[in-house]
Amino acid sequence: MEVLRIVITGAVGAGKTTLIRTISEIQVVDTDRQATDETALLKPTTTVAFDFGRLTFAPNQALHLYGTPGQARFDFIWDILIQKAHAYIFLVDAHRPQDFRSGRRILSFMNQRAKIPMLIGLTHMDCPGAWDLDDIALALGLFDEATRPAMVPINPTQPSSVSQALMRLVQELMKAPVLN
Amino acid sequence: MINIIAIQSILQSFVSDISDIQGATLVSPDGLAIASALPERVDEERIAAMTAAMLSIGERIGRELARGQIDRVIVVGEKGYSVLVNCSDDAVLLILANANAKQGLLFLEIKRAVAELVPLLAEQPKANLLT
Ligand SMILES: Nc1nc2c(ncn2[C@@H]2O[C@H](COP(=O)(O)OP(=O)(O)OP(=O)(O)O)[C@@H](O)[C@H]2O)c(=O)[nH]1
Ligand SMILES: [Mg+2]
Repeated sequence: MEVLRIVITGAVGAGKTTLIRTISEIQVVDTDRQATDETALLKPTTTVAFDFGRLTFAPNQALHLYGTPGQARFDFIWDILIQKAHAYIFLVDAHRPQDFRSGRRILSFMNQRAKIPMLIGLTHMDCPGAWDLDDIALALGLFDEATRPAMVPINPTQPSSVSQALMRLVQELMKAPVLN
Repeated sequence: MINIIAIQSILQSFVSDISDIQGATLVSPDGLAIASALPERVDEERIAAMTAAMLSIGERIGRELARGQIDRVIVVGEKGYSVLVNCSDDAVLLILANANAKQGLLFLEIKRAVAELVPLLAEQPKANLLT
């Protein structure tokens, strides 16, 4: 069995845990705990270590999906997970511009540590006030359309949307010159 | 309100009264320090987050392997111990001890400290942890 390790990252509430729960074929190992910081205003629980799920997509190929925490105090987990990843998806909640800055910090953290295929997934595009793709790119500091990573809308609550994005990422991975 | 001053003073005397104990911090399950008596060089914010992550993984391993309720996770290195103990639903205690500590005694002292801390934690309604 060939295993591709995919990290799902992004700021608090972007939908990392939800995405993995939606698509995993095994019961997800989550480490959500009651939130007592400002996350509590957004949702009751937050990931404190990682989520783990699995998806078999060919007879001998499986994705291992690891979801990171969102808060910067857990950056040691970001580091552990990204070191072993083959590719990653960075999720941005399109309707919470106040979180773009912390998202940008995660993106640059990952960028510095891993030169691996990645996608940017825009979540909450169905919510009122969602920014559109080009504006989010600018907010993330991705000014050059030609060189910026692929950006796709993803709804983490919908299996078809999640699997589409994952297959897109796998394609990017197959195109990439070396598998690490 | 949670009595942080009282908690702090329990942690402080725990660390100063028992020679092999080097530090203690009480952390919320989502990784925020509630009160600490840690050595200077330790970054409280980081260690609080690590404590929560470690305990949550320990609990998951315990569940996966049918070990029942997990009361502590222990990391033993050549220079000493880090012991994580579940205090209540709202708090995890992390204790640092040097390599001279005798395990049995150490756990006994930790148990005593937890017994002192638990009543203070029970007083506080959850919402008050919000910062
Ligand atoms: N309407 C809508 N809701 C979404 C979408 N994506 C995620 N959600 C919801 O937003 C919330 C996201 O919560 P989580 O999956 O816990 O977020 P997370 O990224 O794991 O957050 P942390 O672990 O705290 O960093 C859930 O309630 C989802 O149902 C989307 O595209 N549209
Ligand atoms: Mg999560």
